[in-house]
Amino acid sequence: MQNPNSTNLNEIDACGVVPINKEWGIGVSGVENPSPFSRTNQILKRWRDTKWSVDHERAVLLTQAYKKYAGLSQQLKTASAVAHILENVTIRIYPDELIVGEIGAPAKAAPIYPEFSYGWVQRELKESPFRDRPIVAHVTSEKTEKELLGISDFWLGQTVEDEAISLLTEDQIKATHLGKAVFSLQLYLHGGVGHTHLNFKEVLNLGYGGMLEKIQQKFDACDNTLPQDIKKREFYQSQLIVLKGMIEYCNRYARLAMNEAKSATGERQKELVKIAENCSHIATGTPRSLWEAAQLMQFTYNLIMIESNGHSVSYGRMDQDLYPFYKKDRENGVTKEWQQEMLESLFLKWAEMCKIRDWGTISNNGGHGMGGTTITVGGINPDGSDATNDLSYMIVDATVHTRLGEPWLAVRWHKNTPRDFKIKCANAIRVGFGRPKLFNDEVCIPSMERYGRSPEDSKNYAVVGCVEIDAPGKEYGWHDAAYFSMPKVLELALNNGRCFECESVGKDLCPRYSICAAKGQRLGLETGSLAEFSSFEEVKTAYDKQMQYMCDQMVGAINSVDIAHQRRKPLPALSLLTEGCAEKGMDVSAGGAIYNYSGPQAVGVGTVADGLSAIKQLVFDEKKVTGGEFLTALLSNWEGYEWLHALVNSEKVHHYGNDDAYADELAAFGADTYCKHIENRPTAHGGVFLPGVYSVTANVGLGLILWASPDGRKAQEPISDNCGAVHNKAGAHDVQGPTAMLKSVCKLDHVRMGNGTLLNMKYSPTSVSGEAGRDNFIDMVDSYFGMGGLHCQFNIISKETLEDAYENPAEHENLLVRVAGYSAFFNDLSKPTKLDIMDRTELSFD
Amino acid sequence: MIMEKTENKGIIFDIQKFTVHDGPGIRTNVFLKGCPLRCLWCSNPEGLRSKPQVGVYSNRCIGIDKCGLCLRVCPKAEEGALVIKDNRIDHINRNVCTDCLLCAEECPSQGTLKIWGREMSVPEVLEIVLADREFYEKSGGGITLSGGEVFRQSAFARELLEACKTEGINTCVESALHCDPDLLDIVYPQVDLVITDIKHMDSEIHKTLTGIGNQRILDNIKKTATMGLPLVIRVPVVAEHNNDDINLRATAEFIANNLGNQVKQVQLLPYRELGVDKYEALGMAYPMADFTPPERIVWEADIHHLVELMQEYGIPVVAGTTIKYDI
Repeated sequence: MQNPNSTNLNEIDACGVVPINKEWGIGVSGVENPSPFSRTNQILKRWRDTKWSVDHERAVLLTQAYKKYAGLSQQLKTASAVAHILENVTIRIYPDELIVGEIGAPAKAAPIYPEFSYGWVQRELKESPFRDRPIVAHVTSEKTEKELLGISDFWLGQTVEDEAISLLTEDQIKATHLGKAVFSLQLYLHGGVGHTHLNFKEVLNLGYGGMLEKIQQKFDACDNTLPQDIKKREFYQSQLIVLKGMIEYCNRYARLAMNEAKSATGERQKELVKIAENCSHIATGTPRSLWEAAQLMQFTYNLIMIESNGHSVSYGRMDQDLYPFYKKDRENGVTKEWQQEMLESLFLKWAEMCKIRDWGTISNNGGHGMGGTTITVGGINPDGSDATNDLSYMIVDATVHTRLGEPWLAVRWHKNTPRDFKIKCANAIRVGFGRPKLFNDEVCIPSMERYGRSPEDSKNYAVVGCVEIDAPGKEYGWHDAAYFSMPKVLELALNNGRCFECESVGKDLCPRYSICAAKGQRLGLETGSLAEFSSFEEVKTAYDKQMQYMCDQMVGAINSVDIAHQRRKPLPALSLLTEGCAEKGMDVSAGGAIYNYSGPQAVGVGTVADGLSAIKQLVFDEKKVTGGEFLTALLSNWEGYEWLHALVNSEKVHHYGNDDAYADELAAFGADTYCKHIENRPTAHGGVFLPGVYSVTANVGLGLILWASPDGRKAQEPISDNCGAVHNKAGAHDVQGPTAMLKSVCKLDHVRMGNGTLLNMKYSPTSVSGEAGRDNFIDMVDSYFGMGGLHCQFNIISKETLEDAYENPAEHENLLVRVAGYSAFFNDLSKPTKLDIMDRTELSFD
Repeated sequence: MIMEKTENKGIIFDIQKFTVHDGPGIRTNVFLKGCPLRCLWCSNPEGLRSKPQVGVYSNRCIGIDKCGLCLRVCPKAEEGALVIKDNRIDHINRNVCTDCLLCAEECPSQGTLKIWGREMSVPEVLEIVLADREFYEKSGGGITLSGGEVFRQSAFARELLEACKTEGINTCVESALHCDPDLLDIVYPQVDLVITDIKHMDSEIHKTLTGIGNQRILDNIKKTATMGLPLVIRVPVVAEHNNDDINLRATAEFIANNLGNQVKQVQLLPYRELGVDKYEALGMAYPMADFTPPERIVWEADIHHLVELMQEYGIPVVAGTTIKYDI
C-alpha cells in the first residue's frame, strides 16, 4: 500500500486521501456530517442554516451604470456596467472558509439580471412574491422588493426578451411557449446563455495582469482608420474595462481579509492573512500554489456570474488544469489532507451561489440551481493514455464529503480507466445522491470530431451542464437552446396538422387559438390523418414532414433569440475567457469563439417510439383496430377505449426499452428524423446546430400541455424522460430489466446526437449491495459503454424512501436525488416531478 | 457422451435478465416449471405445478363493463370459470377452469391475468439468453437454470445448457437435487457451477418442511462434490423451523466431512415473506400464513450467530448472496 502522504510523487499511485475502496454506505445521501474535516462540516451547517434569498444590489448597480454610461456603445456600456458592479458591490468573507468571493450577492442569495428579462420579476414581486412560493421560496426584504420595483420602469421594453420576441414570426410564436410549446425557448429568452467552459488555462498561465498586457497590445495595434479595426478596438477596450474592474475586485477582497484578520485570533487570523496575500497576489500575478489557483478559479467564476446569469457554466477538467499546482505543492511538502480540506472549502463556495428563475420554469424544474456547474475528471491524455490522477480521486471524495446541490461531477470513463477509480466512482454513486455521472470517451470523442472539432480538442472534451460535451474554453455551444416535443410532432402527423386538444375540449384554453384555429389555420401542415393512412409508411412520411416544418420554426426562433442576445447583451468578460475572441477581436456572443454551435434538445423519444409501435402493430400489422378508431380513442383521451389504453400499455405491444428490435428501430427513426432536420444548419453566431436527445425535466412540462398520445399516455401525464422508456401512469414500459434497457438505448445513434444524450437509471440499494453488487454495477457500465452508450447516471434510493420523503418532507431535508442531468434536493422539486421520479422503473438486480 | 438432437421443449415460467445473486456476474435466470418439493416457505408457487397456469391480479382489472374480453373467449364462462366481483375479475374457479389460457391471452391489461408457464424450444430460450452476451463477458456471468426443479426437465435442461456452452456462455444450475442420480451424469458435463440447498439435516423434519425426506438430496450433493463440480450451498434460515444450533452444526459437519473442498461458498439466507401475492393469484393457501417472522434485528443477529457457529468448522460460510467467490 502506498503512503498517501509521501512527498515523492513518483512513489505514489493516484489514490486520493481516503482509501480507494472506502464504502460510504448505500442510499445515504442525507447524513449530517459527511466530511472527515470539521471545517467542511461547520460550513455545511452554516449553509443549511442560511435561507435562500434574493438580493437587489447587482440589479441596482447595473441600472445605475446603464444610466451613467447611456451614451456609450452597447459593448462598452455592458463592460462598464460589469466593472461598476465589481468595484462597488458589497463583499463579505464568511467564517471558516479558505476560499472567498461572491457573485454580487451574499451566500445563497440570488442576484437579479434585469437586462435579460424583467417582466416576470416585476409581476411576481407584485402578485406572487418569491418568499411565498410553495417550493423553492426565496426570502426578500422589504428594501429589496422596493429597490427592485423601483427599477422596473427603466427596463420596460429594454430587455433581450423584448427584442427577441419582436423578431419572431407569427408561425414561430404559435409553436413556442408563447403559444403552447411544441418547443420551449424559455431559458434563453429569460436569461443569459452560459452553458460553456471558462478558459481557466489562460487565467492560470497569464493571470489578470498578463491578460491585461496581452489585450492592451492588441488594442494598441489597431489601426484607427480601418472600419474593422474600429470595431475590434471597441471590443478590446471593453475587455480592458472589465479586466481593470476585476483586478480591483480581487484587491477589495485582499483588503477585506486583512481588515478582518485584525480582529481575528489564533489560526483563523493566520488564515485570513494568507487569504489576503492570496487575493492580493492573484489580482495581477499567476498562482504559486494550489490554494491560489483555486482562489483564482473562484474569482474568475464569480466574474462570469456577475456578468450574466447563464446557466451551467462548468469547471472543465479540473483534475488536469490544477494538477501542476497540486504536484508543486506536494513537492514543497504541503500535505494531501490540507489540499483536500481546501478543495472542500472551494466546493462549498460553489454551493453558495444561487439564482432565481421565473415561476413558470421553477414549477416544472424546481431548484435554486446554477444549471449545471459540472466538474469533469478522468478521461485520456492527448496521446491516448489514461489521465486519471490523484486529484481525480480527491475531487470524487470532496463531492461525497460535501453532498450539496453544487457542484456536479462528471467522470470520463474509458477502456483504460483504472479499476480502482471505477470502484471509487461506484462507491460514490452508491451513496445515492446521483453523482458522479458517467461519460464514455469512446463515443464522446468521435461525436466531438463529427461536428468539426480538431482531434486534439476532441480528446480534451469536458461536460457542460447535464450532458453536453464541449471543447473547454474554446467553444460557445448554446447547449440548451430549446426543448422540443417530438410527441407533439407525432400528434400533428396523426391528425392532419391539427392539435388533438383543439378538436376535443381545450380550444378556449389555448393561448394561440386567436392566431391559429380561429383564423382557420392549423398548427402544423396538412399531411393526412391516421383515419386515412393506408400503410405505416404514410404515418412515417407525415411525421417526417411535420418534423421538418417544426424544426424550421425552432431553428428560426433560436436564431432570432441569438441575434437579440448579440445586440443587447455582449459578453466582454466571457469573451476574455473564451479562446478565439481576442484573436478575432470579436465578442463571444457574436461568434468570437473557436467553435460555435446551438444545441436544442428533443424530448420524448420513448413516447414517440411506443406510439409509432402501437400504431404499426395494432392498426397495420395485426389490424386489431382501424386507424380511425385509434384516432378517436386519442381524441377522446381514451374514454370509451379503456381496453385499448390498457392493451397499448401492456407487454403485448412492442415497447422501446426491452431490447426489442420492433420498437427500438422506431425509437431510432423518431430521433433520427429530428437530427436530420436540425444538424448542421447555420446558427446566428457563426456555427451550426447540434441535435441532442434529453429532457432534463422538460418531459414533465411538455407533458402537461400535451393531449393523449398513442403510447398509452393520457392527457397531461409526463412524456418519456431523456433516452428512457415510457413510464405512463398505466405502467412502465421497460419490463425486461436494465440490460435490455441499456441495449435499447444503444440502438440510438449517440455519436450523431452531438449535443448529448442522457439515461437515468434508478436502482434500489439492495440491488447494488456488497462487493458483488458493486462489481456487477461496474461491469454493467463497462458493457453499456462497450456497446456505444454515451452517458448514464443513477439514482440509488429505495422507492420506500422516496415515498416517505413525499409524505414527510420535513424528515428528508437533505435527501438529494438525481433528476436528470443533475441532482436536486427532493423537497425542492415540484409535485409532478417528484411523482415522475418515483414512477421511474426501479431496476432491481435480485 | 453425445446425445442425439431432440425436439425437446421446456415449460418455462419466467426468464429474468440481470440477476446477480444466483452465480457469479450478471446472469439470465431461466425458471423451469414443476417441482417435487413443497417447501413451506416456497416463494415461487407458480413453479410448483408442471402445467401452465393463469394467475389473477384483480386490482389490475380495468372493469368488465369497459372490457369483458376474458368472459367472451372463455369456453367455460357459462359454468362460472371466471368469477366476477364488483365489476372485476376476482378469481378463477379452478375446479371448472381447464387451463386453456385463452382468457389471459386475450386480456389487454398488463398482468391482470398472468400466464405462468410457456412451452419454449431451446433456440427460443437461447436467443433471449444470448441477447445479454456483452454483459456476461464483462462480468463473468452467464445463464442460471432454476425452478421449479431443473431435473424435472433434464433432457431440455441438458440441451439448453449444451447450446450455451457451445456459445461460450457460463452455466449454472440451481436445484434441490431431489432426483435420480443418473440424471446428474447426463446434465453435469454442461454445468460450470451448481447451487443447491440444505433445508434440514434430519430427514423426518425435512419431510415435514418440504414433503420429502432428505436422503436422496444429501446423496446427490455428495455425488456432485465427488464429480468435482464447483458447489454453492444455501441454507434458508427460518425461525422455529430449522434455525437451531443443532441443525446448523449438523449441516456444517456434513459440508466439512463429506464434500471435500468442493464448496465455494455456504450462504445463509433469511426467510422473507415473498410470493404471498402469487399464492393468492393462483388461488392457493400460503403455507406459512400463521407464521409471524421475527423482527429484522432478530433474524439478522440470528444469521450472524449461525455464520460464526458454522465458521468453527472451517467452511466458507457467509450471510447473504453479495459476497464474491471464485469459481
